[in-house]
Amino acid sequence: MSLELITIKMTLAVYSAATALSFVYLAYKDEKWNRWMLNLLGIGIALHLLSFAFRIHSFWQISENRYFLPINTFFGALSYLALAVCAIFFIIESRHRLGILGAFVLPWASLSLGVAVFVASPEISGLVPALQSYWINIHPMVLMSAYAAFGNAFGVGLALLVQEHQIKSRKPIALCYRLPSIEELDNLNYRIIAAAFPILTIGIIMGGVWAENAWGRFWGWDPKETWALITALVYAGYLHMRYLMGLRGKKAIYVSMVGFACVVFTFAGVNFLSELHGYLSKG
Amino acid sequence: MQIVVAGLSHKTAELALREKLSLFSQEEIARKIKDSPIADVVFLSTCNRFEVYACGFKDGADGPEVLLRFFEGLIGKNPDKEDLYLYSGLEAVEHLLKVASGLDSLVVGETEILGQVKEAYEWAKKEGFTGKIGNILFQRALFVGKKVRSETGISVGQTSVASVAVELAQSIFGRLSESSVLVLGAGQMAELMVRHLSSQKTQKIMVSNRTRDRAETLAQNFKASVLPWENRAEALQEVDIVLASTGAPEAVLTKEMVEKSLKNRRGRSLFMVDIAMPRDIEEAVHTLEHVYLYRLEDLEHIVAKNLEGRASEIQKAKEIIDSKTAEMDEWLKALKEGRELSFKHSNRPKMRRIEASQNKGVVNEK
Amino acid sequence: MKLFRSIRFNIILGAIIALLSALGTFLPQIETSPDKVEMYRSLHPFSFRILNFFGAFHLYQTWYFIALLGLMAFDIIVCKLWNQPPDLNATALPPENTNEEELEKHWAQREEALRLKPFQSSLDSSLGFDETFKRTKSFFKGQDYAVHDEVKTSSGAAFLATKHRMQRWGSYIAHIALVVILIGAGLKALYGFTEMVPVMEGETAAMKNRPWTLSVEKFTVHFYPKTFQPSLFSSVLRVKAGDELLGAKTIRVNHPLDIHGIRFYQASWGAAGMFRSATLNLDGTTLTLQQRVPKKIPGTPFAVEADVLMPDFTISDGRADTASLDLKNPAVRFLFTVAGKPTPPLWLFVLYPKVCLKENPDGTLEHAEVPPFSLVSVDPVLFSGIQVAYDPGYPWVIGGALLWVLGLILLFYLHRRRFWVLLERGENEKTKISIGAWSSKGGRDFEKEFARLTAEMKSRLSFNKMEA
Repeated sequence: MSLELITIKMTLAVYSAATALSFVYLAYKDEKWNRWMLNLLGIGIALHLLSFAFRIHSFWQISENRYFLPINTFFGALSYLALAVCAIFFIIESRHRLGILGAFVLPWASLSLGVAVFVASPEISGLVPALQSYWINIHPMVLMSAYAAFGNAFGVGLALLVQEHQIKSRKPIALCYRLPSIEELDNLNYRIIAAAFPILTIGIIMGGVWAENAWGRFWGWDPKETWALITALVYAGYLHMRYLMGLRGKKAIYVSMVGFACVVFTFAGVNFLSELHGYLSKG
Repeated sequence: MQIVVAGLSHKTAELALREKLSLFSQEEIARKIKDSPIADVVFLSTCNRFEVYACGFKDGADGPEVLLRFFEGLIGKNPDKEDLYLYSGLEAVEHLLKVASGLDSLVVGETEILGQVKEAYEWAKKEGFTGKIGNILFQRALFVGKKVRSETGISVGQTSVASVAVELAQSIFGRLSESSVLVLGAGQMAELMVRHLSSQKTQKIMVSNRTRDRAETLAQNFKASVLPWENRAEALQEVDIVLASTGAPEAVLTKEMVEKSLKNRRGRSLFMVDIAMPRDIEEAVHTLEHVYLYRLEDLEHIVAKNLEGRASEIQKAKEIIDSKTAEMDEWLKALKEGRELSFKHSNRPKMRRIEASQNKGVVNEK
Repeated sequence: MKLFRSIRFNIILGAIIALLSALGTFLPQIETSPDKVEMYRSLHPFSFRILNFFGAFHLYQTWYFIALLGLMAFDIIVCKLWNQPPDLNATALPPENTNEEELEKHWAQREEALRLKPFQSSLDSSLGFDETFKRTKSFFKGQDYAVHDEVKTSSGAAFLATKHRMQRWGSYIAHIALVVILIGAGLKALYGFTEMVPVMEGETAAMKNRPWTLSVEKFTVHFYPKTFQPSLFSSVLRVKAGDELLGAKTIRVNHPLDIHGIRFYQASWGAAGMFRSATLNLDGTTLTLQQRVPKKIPGTPFAVEADVLMPDFTISDGRADTASLDLKNPAVRFLFTVAGKPTPPLWLFVLYPKVCLKENPDGTLEHAEVPPFSLVSVDPVLFSGIQVAYDPGYPWVIGGALLWVLGLILLFYLHRRRFWVLLERGENEKTKISIGAWSSKGGRDFEKEFARLTAEMKSRLSFNKMEA
């Protein structure tokens, strides 16, 4: 087994442990679980970066791939996505001290990396000519960072639904007092989306510029492009509804979750529709 | 070198006796202690307890005897056996840890007592009353008090109807500094709740009552404004929290009124508390999105459950206290032999870390 | 007009566009995969006719889809031009030209209004009214706030202090950017063109949209080892108008040639069936054949001729065919004659030396014994697929995209703060200052900032005159 695979499996183990601890912390009010979860998360992120370094090293061996980042395959993309979800959660946690939300966010990172390790092929292959562009170092990264942020917003939305249900039920359990308030969760969900939305559209525009350079058109209604546009439309709808129509709480969360469903479909589902953007196709 | 505690608390003594003791000022008691053979001492005086912790006695005096006489001097007569308790040695250590952890409190796990222990200790230290053992003992007690609260559920959940209501409001709005309150009715219960809410620095409080005078009295006490009774429905557009406790025979806020106000609330939640009997707010408003109506029995139910929950954590807390008492025992024994142990989890750095993280939390949350 | 400005209407419009776009991704589109559309037609002729009636196979070019996009652009313009500038909560203070009487009348109301701002505070100053007014203003200026909408009356004064006011233009700029991008797309649809010009290596082909010719002097393709997965392909391209050379460049993917905005892309490549040579291995000796040039096999009565190349061999209807123009499974047909008499042609494969197919006179194929020779390699004549595109809307699209990014950065990343400051002249040189604040982000960060600012202001106002 290569060093890359060993480290990525260790990363998966550490992320899973951090996820498990986040649930323990949810169930038991004891700050030590939170501390351990964050420590593990930090270790996981470091291991993940190390694994990426190994991957870049073996990617470099193919001369055509030099100076390009290895996220052309499903494996590379999922792995980067998991890293971004964890890193963004780490930042949100350290700024707002919301470790309690770990149980709503970290499972998606573990899931993403788990699919990468157990389903996707970690094999490294040469880049097809269309991908041999400096844009490959920017365009997918930017988009997937936005996806990861939306993943975090999705977790926050789940927490809001739980909290709302608790309070509506009139019989809140202790968790209710430890989760952030409805208004705070709603605001956090909005702020993450408001921060990620420009990144999403910038990523789409970069893709257009790349496509203009590689394929001779800025926009070609390729399924991947189209779905990215749909995702942006849904989130734009969310922002308008929240800002101009005062849509808040549960219904706003549902709209943002439709957006996240589009993200997931754009990222994974479209591979079955798109010839140009498939991780497995010749690009 | 003998640790002895003598005292009386809500569990043993009548209110009258406790009140009598609480009338003494700190200085008076300090003077009396200086005159007695008690050394290395901290005394704790709250409305629920009066305790003297002594870790040494001048001229080899007998500790329990000295303390008994001290209390006699305070009360002015020989205290009843049932009123006063006296523990020495490890029992005294255990008692202090229990008190600091809130196990001995009227409401199990309440947090105020920890601050009171801290204040009492710091005052005694500043005045030069404490010695080596007292210092270590109280630092350990403060540490254990925090540890028990962070590692068990003994302090989770509010235990009064008013504080549960405030906590729920916080679960909906977070900090309440951006929230306004509308109070309907001006009874005692309303006043209690408003007191709790205004301690959270709510943005604005409006009182509305059918008889204006009573509303004005209540409003004056809390720097609130008075709202004409007929404007209550419009006010729903801008307030976040509604407290209803009028004696009206029928609902004073209908679903229709609330529904109408929601249109202009831009999706902000509305928390309504109805403690009136018969009800002031139509039950159906709870079905509206963004509206959360809690009735008196809902709040009481939560209080009961919280108390239950705290009680179920007592055993866990006791385990921590037992192990920390044993640690203290070892330390005392070693000290007797002339050695000085350091605690496995030495309390000082650890406390500093906890405090640091708490401070950080405070800064971040502000 | 009111309808077009309603946010609900535009949300529904956006949803319809999103749904139609989604539908288009589940049906093959004629622009991107004409072969799949053809397949759909043959498999589901009935539903094809219905869907095709609605243009579902060229959905993004249908008149109604384009009309919806146009309507969106129209709505955006209407919304942004007709609606008030998005300056939230600006109502607490009257505009500067309000007369004094009006101001006095509303004095109490204003204090009340300030108390309803998300953040509010009040403090007293005993510095004297003018000094207090001066210092509060200079305080905000010192914190990089812009002070404006000042009003001063005999009873007091008020002003607004704001920071990052640019933020409110973000929404404008972003929406206008969308219109610019759509204009770019429209320009491309009206005046742009795209055409695919396949050029065989060494040959010249003419363009349809311009009287120009393209010649590929040399076409190169490199493969990753042991695959037909290309690692690089490029054409030495010359573009001419008559005899005049317009441009020349070695183009490859991601590196097109640009002539006056018309861009030439290396889009694809393939083998059309021609080849320069095919090499056979006969018991250790190699024999190289040119296409359709029979050659005697030395020392035998056989003669052999290689005539057809299938770059991506497949069998359809029992006959030899090619699945694509990619070199995925190259196969060559060989005709043998024994002493001048023809024998059935044989198909040999580069990738599968152990396979040999015999072609019957009716064109059907059957497995044949592996002959004592194998096809070692084939050197196909490749064609270079050159896409020529002219997009006069591209600068608009790029400009719009940059505007869009600028707008969103202003809108979402700038933190606009707004303070309403109200000074009420009191007795004995006392001044009551009421402050209300709003921020585009709100939340805890601003709460902290607000507390800091009011505390600092308080300390600024507590200095006595001499110190200041």
